[in-house]
Amino acid sequence: MTTASNLLAFVALVVTLLLVWRQSWRGRARLFVVQSVVLAALAVVIGVLAHRPALLVVAAVFLFVKTWVIPRVLRRMAEGAPLRPVAPGRSAGISVLVAGALVVVAYVIMLPVTDLTAAGVATRRAIPLAFAMALIGLFVCVTGRDALGQITGFLVFENGIFALALLATYGLPGIVEAGAFLEVLVLVLLMEGVVVQIRREHDSLDVDRLRELRG
Amino acid sequence: MIALLLALPLAGAVLLARASGRLAVGGHALTAVATLAVGLVVAAGAVRGAPAVALDGVLRVDALSGWMIAIIVAVAALAAAEAPRYVHAGSPRVFYPLFHLMVFTMLLAVSTDDVGVMWVAVEGTTLASVFLVNFERTRASLEAAYKYLLICSVGIAIAFLGTVLVYYAEVVRQQGLVDHAPHALRWTALLSLAPALSPRVLELAFVFLVVGYGTKAGLAPMHTWLPDAHSEAPAPVSALMSGVLLSVGVYAVLRFKPIVDAAAGPGFTRRILMALGLLSLAVAAAFLWRPGNYKRMLAYSSVEHIGIVCLGLGFGGPLGVAGALLHVANHGLAKAVLFLLAGRIRAAYGTVDLAGVRGLLGALPFTGRGFLITLLALMGLPPFGLFTSEVMIFGAGFREGHPWVAAAGLALLVVAFGGLLRAAHDMLYGVPPAITREAPGGWPAALPMALALVLLVLTGLAWPPGFAGALELAARVVAP
Repeated sequence: MTTASNLLAFVALVVTLLLVWRQSWRGRARLFVVQSVVLAALAVVIGVLAHRPALLVVAAVFLFVKTWVIPRVLRRMAEGAPLRPVAPGRSAGISVLVAGALVVVAYVIMLPVTDLTAAGVATRRAIPLAFAMALIGLFVCVTGRDALGQITGFLVFENGIFALALLATYGLPGIVEAGAFLEVLVLVLLMEGVVVQIRREHDSLDVDRLRELRG
Repeated sequence: MIALLLALPLAGAVLLARASGRLAVGGHALTAVATLAVGLVVAAGAVRGAPAVALDGVLRVDALSGWMIAIIVAVAALAAAEAPRYVHAGSPRVFYPLFHLMVFTMLLAVSTDDVGVMWVAVEGTTLASVFLVNFERTRASLEAAYKYLLICSVGIAIAFLGTVLVYYAEVVRQQGLVDHAPHALRWTALLSLAPALSPRVLELAFVFLVVGYGTKAGLAPMHTWLPDAHSEAPAPVSALMSGVLLSVGVYAVLRFKPIVDAAAGPGFTRRILMALGLLSLAVAAAFLWRPGNYKRMLAYSSVEHIGIVCLGLGFGGPLGVAGALLHVANHGLAKAVLFLLAGRIRAAYGTVDLAGVRGLLGALPFTGRGFLITLLALMGLPPFGLFTSEVMIFGAGFREGHPWVAAAGLALLVVAFGGLLRAAHDMLYGVPPAITREAPGGWPAALPMALALVLLVLTGLAWPPGFAGALELAARVVAP
């Protein structure tokens, strides 16, 4: 069981690193979908092996929201905006290096927590991998040059936290899990409203143009 | 009764989404008044005696929740009274429902026993208020709404991570998985389990919780969204956000403090809270000396006061926590009144630039005097309540053995005071521009704000009977 879940968490992290390396927005959106599929598989594996049928429902909802609804909304946001490289003129090497360093940071922060003798949580060894995903997502979010880049980063961050919750606790109580999905969904829809308006006002999604408010 | 308190604003929000014209204003007023009445009844019951429980224990109102409910409904009523002046900038079918939805999410956040539900509710406050921030649909308000949504969502996701770790600590403690998962995230259950939980996991969780909920609370250095959102939102929304929404973020951190303290000892949370409190004070004090816009000035002053509250919680002890809770109430009332008056000043002068507002006392005698008095209250001068709560907080600092932190906090407070005073002087005196007029409505429209000022004097000079007991009971919930 731990082999399968560790492997899936590792694959998800590799996909996240690929996402940092990819410089086209469409490529990143596709990799986000791949990452979500891997995490849904992780939820299924943990659900089956820990005898938690509720996790299968979670996996199904997760798959529906993250690989169908959200990519559609993202595509609507991107419509009409000039699609340019994520970071023009910058090499992807440095970003990947930073992402690699973040994996180390994730291990440093999370190892003391996972070293505990917790017989019940067999999957805890993979917690740092999930935390690394979250940190990398945060990094993509704060270095994003336009609204789409920042939102993609946020979604990767959110996926990392979902994976961490799975690995550390085999899923949260149903009401919290349901609430979290609903919030992500509403958040992305609200974001679409705001982003569409930004594009109408500024004719671009660059966050550099958002500089009315200072001080 | 608790269920009714939550159902009222929610039902109001749903119904108001279809109403327009006089019907909308009437429905809005009815919802606000009913929420205020039921909220005060619930709060009065809770701060006097045993906690009330509803919905199989998901909702639980103890003295601390009661205290927060009273503040929320009072500030919400204050803001609601001014709301109809601002609705013409957009659609009432957007404004009123979202306003009451925001009140609902805040009330849910403070009246639930489940920290998972609390997280959902706090995130809900962000989602409900984004379109209110962008209500005027200008470029600036759009930018503010975008930053607000993105930064607060990241923050709240970090708080989710913290909540997951708290749950993980519980799972580790049980040497396996908790069978009755629905009850696992109950605050009462966590508190009783806390001494046996892993201190390392809880310390890490607390760091995430402070950063996450601290973003919502506007603590530096996570405050960057706050001045934008609070200055661009319409005045009643700013009043609600600065007056109570920030405190809901503080409340969320406060709920976790005794749990972490029980497991890891009080030193850890104390150091974090004191450091963040001082930093917030420093950031705000520095800005208050060069404000360009009076709504931003008020927003930074909120960062300052949340910093003071955080210091009070960090000093701890019943006195520090009681001072912090009293400060939350005082600041909520004072800041709400100031934002509402700032909205009137903006309507009269047509600008939010500090440089554009001169001779306020001469041009708008009513609003100007109110602004001056409330600003003096906000600066912490007697006889207003903020003076009392600041004395309690810094007194706790000296008593609990942190004289240097308390002294540094006081010094920063003086710096902030000077900055505010300078800006206020520029606004209040001088030659007013020719075209300004007092907002219509006369004295009845000013009645709610006058009432808030009376309350501020009461909390400063003469506590009503039972007030001290209620405050102590609320503080004892988290500072035994």
